[in-house]
Amino acid sequence: MTWQTSSHRSTPMVAARSVGRSVLRSEDPRLLSGGGRYLADLSLPRELHAALLRSNEAHSRLLAVDVSEAQALPGVHLVWTGADVATFCQGIEGALAVDGCIATVMPLLARDTLHYVGEPIALVVADSRAIAEDAMELISVTTEPLPPVTDPNAALEAGSPLANEQLAGNVGLRGGASFGPVDECFAVAHRVVEETYHTGRLSPTPMETRGVIASYDWASQELKLWTSTQMPHLIRYFVTAYLGIQENLVEVLTPDTGGGFGQKAHLFVEELLMPLASRELNRPVKWVEDRRENLMVAGQAHEQFITIALALDSDNHITAMRTRALGDGGAFHQPPWSMAVEPWCAAAVTPQGVYNVKTLEYTYEAAATNKAPVGAYRGVGYMAGTYAREAIIDEAARAVGMSPFDFRRLNVVKQLPWVNGQGVTYDEGSWLESIDRLEQMVGYEEFRERQLAARAEGRYLGLGISVFVESTGESTAMGKAHGLPDVYHDTATVRMDPNGTVTVTLGLTTQGQGNRTTAAQVAADMMGVRPEDVTVIAGDSTRHTYGSGTVASRGAIIAAGAIGRAAGPLRDKLLAVAANMLEISTDDIELADGRASVRGDSEASVSIADVATSVYFDDSVWPEGFDPGLEATFAYDAGRPMFSNGAQAALVEVDPFTGFVTVDTMYVIEDCGTVINPGIVDGQIRGGAVQGIGAALFEQLLYDDAGQLTTTTLMDYHLPTADVIPVFKIEHLQTPSSHTWNGAKGMGESAMIAAPAAVLNAVNDAIAPFGAILRDIPITPEDVLRAIGQVTD
Amino acid sequence: MIAMPSHTATVAMEVNDTTVAAAVETRTSLAEFLRVQAGLTGTKLGCEHGVCGACTVLVDDEPTRGCLVFAAQVDGKKVRTVEGLADGRALNRLQQAFHENFGLQCGFCTGGILMSMTSLMEKEPNPSREQIVEWLSGHLCRCTGYETIINAVLAAVAGGEDLR
Ligand code: FES
Ligand code: FES
Repeated sequence: MTWQTSSHRSTPMVAARSVGRSVLRSEDPRLLSGGGRYLADLSLPRELHAALLRSNEAHSRLLAVDVSEAQALPGVHLVWTGADVATFCQGIEGALAVDGCIATVMPLLARDTLHYVGEPIALVVADSRAIAEDAMELISVTTEPLPPVTDPNAALEAGSPLANEQLAGNVGLRGGASFGPVDECFAVAHRVVEETYHTGRLSPTPMETRGVIASYDWASQELKLWTSTQMPHLIRYFVTAYLGIQENLVEVLTPDTGGGFGQKAHLFVEELLMPLASRELNRPVKWVEDRRENLMVAGQAHEQFITIALALDSDNHITAMRTRALGDGGAFHQPPWSMAVEPWCAAAVTPQGVYNVKTLEYTYEAAATNKAPVGAYRGVGYMAGTYAREAIIDEAARAVGMSPFDFRRLNVVKQLPWVNGQGVTYDEGSWLESIDRLEQMVGYEEFRERQLAARAEGRYLGLGISVFVESTGESTAMGKAHGLPDVYHDTATVRMDPNGTVTVTLGLTTQGQGNRTTAAQVAADMMGVRPEDVTVIAGDSTRHTYGSGTVASRGAIIAAGAIGRAAGPLRDKLLAVAANMLEISTDDIELADGRASVRGDSEASVSIADVATSVYFDDSVWPEGFDPGLEATFAYDAGRPMFSNGAQAALVEVDPFTGFVTVDTMYVIEDCGTVINPGIVDGQIRGGAVQGIGAALFEQLLYDDAGQLTTTTLMDYHLPTADVIPVFKIEHLQTPSSHTWNGAKGMGESAMIAAPAAVLNAVNDAIAPFGAILRDIPITPEDVLRAIGQVTD
Repeated sequence: MIAMPSHTATVAMEVNDTTVAAAVETRTSLAEFLRVQAGLTGTKLGCEHGVCGACTVLVDDEPTRGCLVFAAQVDGKKVRTVEGLADGRALNRLQQAFHENFGLQCGFCTGGILMSMTSLMEKEPNPSREQIVEWLSGHLCRCTGYETIINAVLAAVAGGEDLR
């Protein structure tokens, strides 16, 4: 038995019976037997099907759209163009509330101009998806070409054509800050290391694409909107704001969701178009995205050019750093994260990571281009920022002739709390320890020997490391600490029934993370029952409790906090009634294993079911003035940012003849505080790291110079498969947070944040004998062969 | 361009031991037939171009991409889907092993993977890790990173030869 204590607020001493165990997921049996109900699996009586005609040009004047033939096709119920929907909604505004972000308004359907391949031009609603697609073929579109803007660096040069007339100079975001005597440090530096790194344009690619079903009923004036989203409450807010439907008449429902990874944490035009069409036709309208659309328009991500300069003194301490992050933003801001979040986060939030650099400056920019809008994807901003920083740390270590571990150890912050240059206090973590542990885990000295022996046989092994710190548990305080004044909070209801089972209702949705299971564990320990006795309703309807969305590694912290607060008073009631039943003081009672027991007396106990029954039905054991019932609702917003940290190493082998990189082993040190469920947490690590390997080696959305997307199938956009995954070695350092309910910190993104740099650094270590170095991902076999001189032209 | 004229065909197949017959447009894929006409939505569509494997079902015991064949091509054949895997009202050994090894997260890829692994274990009762990886490589899972899926299949294999 373990006891967990926490100084946070009034967290009670709770017997950790299920927190910390790999409780099997309650979600599984249904999903394993084909019983999952994802959006495309739902169908409503009289439903119609929608398809969207999308631009196949990157930048054009839209002169005319003739829909007459399409409208005449039997089975077609509605064809709308930009002018038709503009009467209902002028477009959706996007911007991030950080310094220097310039808003755009994105029309629901293109009006005068086409800004990117995939931009929707017309909506068709028909008896079937097939008929809707047939009708799309009958729409004729007349355009006049405009110059496409495809290179974000060129886009910011004077005289560049504009990608979007709303953004002067193609600037969607521009800002920066400086802390301390940066110029002086660079002027007197013993050595300056400066490089530019590029992270490729990614698609989060959840295996389930997006989808929306809208059902409007004129009689009740109610709108039901099923959507595959990570933030149903925000969607409802937007729907009411943009379409003028009263909030109490709109219910947003989130069915089983097949992965989100940030892509499904945006407002998309389809979420407004389907309600409009349903209201117009007075029938349910269903739209399910196909994979081509998903790759083309559903929130592209992560593409940045990041230039970092480090000033080093003669002892190899980093004395100052400069970071410039440039994001390739696409044509519009996709709300709420916009093209700003990626470069802003990479440059402003934690450019220095775990390193003791207080003198720094940064600039961040997002350039508008004629590409699909970018949005959030797991580790937004952090991945690219960590990638560039950890890459240049390795280059600096190599330049000064130190091991990557020693150089990091020299420069890492060794004493917490530590206030960074921007004024953010980091007070918890295991920064130095994670580097030390990683070095032991990989057996660094022994690896170097193996590497040399392998080289003698013509084999090229490499080891790369990557160290990160992440602000997790997105909360109002976390945003403010970093300069993003958004407000986040979530509400939970906890109810215990007369027979002692528990229902928890959360505003947080789930996309596969197993939140229902981890939430049940937290509630079970609070109430002294088994997790099997807890049912969790996780954000599946906005009729339930409010939530700010399952994003930004916040689920565990926020769910635990809200459940903890709501369960607290119920726990007190159980204790009070149990005390009367057992005729002992509440202080002497422990709630665990389904019983209220007297501490130190194994005989004296009463079942929690009996206590619950008494709370409902037996007033003879109620204390004076007892407030009946066992149900409470509380909101929670973490009071400050919570920092997870960790380190990863990739062990790779580079084939000098094919250029192929094999990742043999990923070593992972993770400190996310209390681990609620190791099976689930390690699943997040493996899944995230494999996404990171995808980013590092396989995945890239490619546009040609005309702005045409050339990767529109999963044959062109390469996701990692089972034959390219590494062996995982995972260790947890647990520094429970004193700021969260049970000490847990967020971790859903961390592996994705750290892995790409580890892989790049490992490849560079492997090809160092060729005097070669790579700075851009994904690293294709061709890139490797060019770098080592096997291919020239 | 002119819209394609549509044709219909009557298709009948045995799905998980029940005959399903319906008149459908000839362009109806097997996956769509299973999802709409048979009402079995456990077969998922993740790409509709033959890469992701979410639509995998067994047609006369052979793993088949449900998105790449027309329902009419399967007329008169036997189809098994994820809904038919359970042993009565209990998860079968393979499903149970996925449960115990955290072999799924969102579950969207899972049905197709279970069908391929079922076929592998029927053909090769004692597959090696390499064989499992090779068969699994025809499927995309974006959540798990695959390792727990491989572990799950290994655990199921270790549990004996009869899947039920
Ligand atoms: S849906 Fe058939 S392979 Fe992807
Ligand atoms: S579990 Fe989500 S795609 Fe495999």
